[in-house]
Amino acid sequence: MKQWMCLNCGWAYDEAVGDPSAGIAPGTRWEDIPDTWRCPDCGAAKSEFDMVEV
Amino acid sequence: MSVMTAPLKLEDLEDRSFDPFMVEKLSHGSTADPYPTIHAAMAKGPVHKGAYRDLFDAVPDVQMAGLNHYVVLGYDLIQQVLLDPQTFTNREAFEHNLGRSFGHTVTVMDGEEHARFRRIFQRAFLPQVVAKWGETVVDPVVDRLMGAFIQRGEADLVADFTHHYPFQVIYRQLELEPEQAPIFHKLAIAQLLSSIGAPQGQEASRKLGDFFAGLLTLRRAQPGSDLVSHLATVEVDGERLPDDVLIAFLRQLMNAGGDTTYRGTSVLLTGLLTHPDQLAAVAADRSLIPQAIDEALRWEGPVASTWRHAARDVTLAGVDIPQGAIVNVVLASANRDPAKFPDPDRFDIFRDRSVRPLPFATGPHVCIGQHLAKVEMTRALNAVLDRLPNLRLDPDKPAPDIVGHILRVPEHIHVRFDPA
Ligand code: HEM
Ligand SMILES: [Zn+2]
Repeated sequence: MKQWMCLNCGWAYDEAVGDPSAGIAPGTRWEDIPDTWRCPDCGAAKSEFDMVEV
Repeated sequence: MSVMTAPLKLEDLEDRSFDPFMVEKLSHGSTADPYPTIHAAMAKGPVHKGAYRDLFDAVPDVQMAGLNHYVVLGYDLIQQVLLDPQTFTNREAFEHNLGRSFGHTVTVMDGEEHARFRRIFQRAFLPQVVAKWGETVVDPVVDRLMGAFIQRGEADLVADFTHHYPFQVIYRQLELEPEQAPIFHKLAIAQLLSSIGAPQGQEASRKLGDFFAGLLTLRRAQPGSDLVSHLATVEVDGERLPDDVLIAFLRQLMNAGGDTTYRGTSVLLTGLLTHPDQLAAVAADRSLIPQAIDEALRWEGPVASTWRHAARDVTLAGVDIPQGAIVNVVLASANRDPAKFPDPDRFDIFRDRSVRPLPFATGPHVCIGQHLAKVEMTRALNAVLDRLPNLRLDPDKPAPDIVGHILRVPEHIHVRFDPA
């Protein structure tokens, strides 16, 4: 399975879960997350994420 | 000359009778239960002048003495501080204590330099990488330790198990000769003494540094699939990790990865054993293990507090903090903040999980090893549940008691079970 993962901390974005604490509703596709959004674990920018095989 | 066969030297401290473990005990803090004090301070407000240690019976920290300290309490403000690395920096907060022990490690770096090196180290500890170590590195260690006591029907899970396995995981990753392990462990603890000014601290740092320099030469000459070979040869933008940065990271491993995981696992077992209904639930349904680990580390996170340096004048919750001050961030108060975790002192693996606890901190310095720690704790707990049937606290011995206000741990976990 492939997932978007933060390369600064290893936090993985799960579309089914979203990031409700930052207002990203469950089911939100990665492409639809605004560029101002930050990794909830380490604060890295969205551009720090990469698609990885988990 | 054959570089590959040269034996790696690991030198003991000059003074063989010096016992770093004793000194270490003192520096962990003697207050048995810091939470009533933390709650009382939090109720008065989120920012206080003074250091976290000053809330208790302070142990002198000579490198830190005289610095301008402020304590920050509560989830929201702690998150704000840790997610603002421009204002709250690491170098000045750590270079005189942890930096003296380990050297130029990621913890003492800020900004671009930190981000660059951090990504290289984190890449070696991403979830999909460490997941593989569960079977190859962690399980053999856990099996061997448990094999020594499963016939007994009783054990002290600290002395027989948790106090050893995370360190042995590191020895395996470093491919350390078993007979070198006791000296290695002693030096790893002794190097921490730099922060209380003991000369053995610098001696231990130097001896570990010499050992790791030799190890890097060895692995570069003949790289294997082990962690050190990877770190010694990995290139990013055409460059290898500088030796001083890599050696500092390796010096830090025993403390950052071993000591914390030993404490975290001990706390997890304590929480479950003192709440037998929750233990039974996890034993019957292993999919509950991740939330049991999260709750244990929220309830009794092994790292109660950390530090940042105010790079500019800043006002937090109405309190003016001058540039140059040391800001003591009490992670334990975030994890027991009643505004985020109702009935925060209760251990409850079924509690609402919408707020993420912060036992690994947050922000750019968030724990590199959190995914490894969870793999280790999962393997350890599964082994305990699989191999110690009818596990329960020993009714004839004292119940486990988590103590300390800096790095917390129960000293014993006396249990009984059906012998194999
Ligand atoms: C339950 C176990 C663990 C706990 C509770 C824990 C806790 C923490 C915390 C709170 C920090 C952040 C400190 C700060 O920002 O001031 C941290 C950083 C760190 N941890 Fe862990 N840790 C654990 C296991 C590990 C393991 C297994 C490793 C092994 C790789 C590790 C390596 C590190 C490193 C290298 C840092 C520094 C990161 C940086 O400054 O960028 N930790 N840990
Ligand atoms: Zn991240």
